[in-house]
Amino acid sequence: MIEVNRLTKLYGDKRGVTDISFKIDEGEIVGFLGPNGAGKSTTMNIITGYLSATSGSASIGGINVLEDPLEAKKQIGYLPEQPPLYLDMTVKDYLDFVYDLKGAKTRESDRKKHISSICEMVGITQVYNRVIRNLSKGYRQRVGLAQALIGDPEVLILDEPTVGLDPRQIVEIRDVIRELGKKRTIILSTHILPEVEQICERVLVIKEGRIIADDTPQGLQANVAQGHALTLRCAGARSAVANTVRSVPGVRVVTPLPDREEGACDMLVESDGQVDIRKPLFRALAQAGFPILQLRPQDLSLEEIFMTLTEDTSAEVRR
Amino acid sequence: MLAIFKRDLKSYFTSPLGYVFIAAFLAVMNVFFYLYNVYPAQSSLATVFNFMVYILIFVTPLLTMRLFSEEFKQKTDQLLLTSPVKISGIVIGKFLAALAIFAIALAVTLVYVVIIAAHGQPNVRELLANYLAIFCVASAFISIGVFISSLTENQLVSAVLTLAVFLVLYLVDTSGFGAENAILNNILYSISLFVRYTTISNGVLTLSDIVFYITVAAVFLFATTRVIEKKRWS
Repeated sequence: MIEVNRLTKLYGDKRGVTDISFKIDEGEIVGFLGPNGAGKSTTMNIITGYLSATSGSASIGGINVLEDPLEAKKQIGYLPEQPPLYLDMTVKDYLDFVYDLKGAKTRESDRKKHISSICEMVGITQVYNRVIRNLSKGYRQRVGLAQALIGDPEVLILDEPTVGLDPRQIVEIRDVIRELGKKRTIILSTHILPEVEQICERVLVIKEGRIIADDTPQGLQANVAQGHALTLRCAGARSAVANTVRSVPGVRVVTPLPDREEGACDMLVESDGQVDIRKPLFRALAQAGFPILQLRPQDLSLEEIFMTLTEDTSAEVRR
Repeated sequence: MLAIFKRDLKSYFTSPLGYVFIAAFLAVMNVFFYLYNVYPAQSSLATVFNFMVYILIFVTPLLTMRLFSEEFKQKTDQLLLTSPVKISGIVIGKFLAALAIFAIALAVTLVYVVIIAAHGQPNVRELLANYLAIFCVASAFISIGVFISSLTENQLVSAVLTLAVFLVLYLVDTSGFGAENAILNNILYSISLFVRYTTISNGVLTLSDIVFYITVAAVFLFATTRVIEKKRWS
């Protein structure tokens, strides 16, 4: 549905994004994950035709955004980082305008039904007749989302859709997005990790204008966390157990954890990424006469994965 | 294009801008009408129309200053430029909205015609020429304003710059044509926004003058589309 091919965008001599390629199939919900200034918004702006790439191409449903912008844009609903709202208009006038602008449909009855169903979905029916200037940030964000939904586009591109919402609204909007995702292709960017975990089927991690990971949230977790860290509870004296553990090849760091059980000790065993140390660990401890009471891989949360993947990010801010 | 025209037209009246423009324009016009028609009991509006173009110098920036500047500032251009509309459609929609506000203000001046008709014999052909001419001149002025507003995201900069451009054009006009160099004189004369208008409002209407103003409008509107197109590549 969306195909991005070797996209590069230079701002003067600064690099916005570098050589980004990915493909998104119909009906996928994909999360763009990355620190601020990594190039998420730039990529989205290029896909939607707001910016032009320095090189490379983007296409929506097989239509090149640069060659046939009108046709490509018809298929997209876009919520930019800052919702594009006219503050002096009422919600009603604004949505009517967007409806006309997108040339959605022309029948008046259809229009009312279409707009009111969208308002209901994103929960702005109660502010329908109010001037946008007077709305809170949360409502403005939702009006922005409503705008993107007008015309029933097949592709939704949402740049940080839950920014500025309170926790309950966030849950509501996520439900809306998940619901929308059943019939549409969605790209959303965020730096809130639970959001990705909950909504997305696939994650693209962007760092300094490059894609550094492309996987499911679970896959990402498994990949980075694989054999990475184990918590161990073992009967025996702490120092003796720790020495035995250290003697196992591949073990990098042993960190003591607070004891939870009488006569046993807990510790965190970290290994060199790729090596699976569980079996050698078991044998070594069994030989030394320290029964293992518990051995459990330490799940890295997406936060930690994110930190691992994006660490060493320089503080330099890029647009 | 129609959606943009409608929205921009409406937005002139959701802010004080449209009212201020119409009020300022008419207030000054009324003074001239009194001084040159009512007081001396003159039936020809030619003098009043002659002054109208100078009023335009000062009020056109009000009309055009925020057309694009405000879109850039509020980032609403992201909505326009990612919607399935052509850039030329956006530019023309905005241009027509500003021109429509001017047309509304101009329509009110038809009251002068009514007043004159009540007391004497208005010269219909002269009036038609005058109205047509000022409309063409306003198109050219507004298109320059639209162009300048696409260059900055600051309304004030847009307004001041537009005013400055008009004033410079006017100064070139009044001080020009006395230059030693005949070729330079000719060039200045042929691109002057004011000379042709004076000719028309004095009752000499030629097609080439009308075409001149329409061309100016077209050139600046086209330049505006190029400026916006180019922003994408920056």
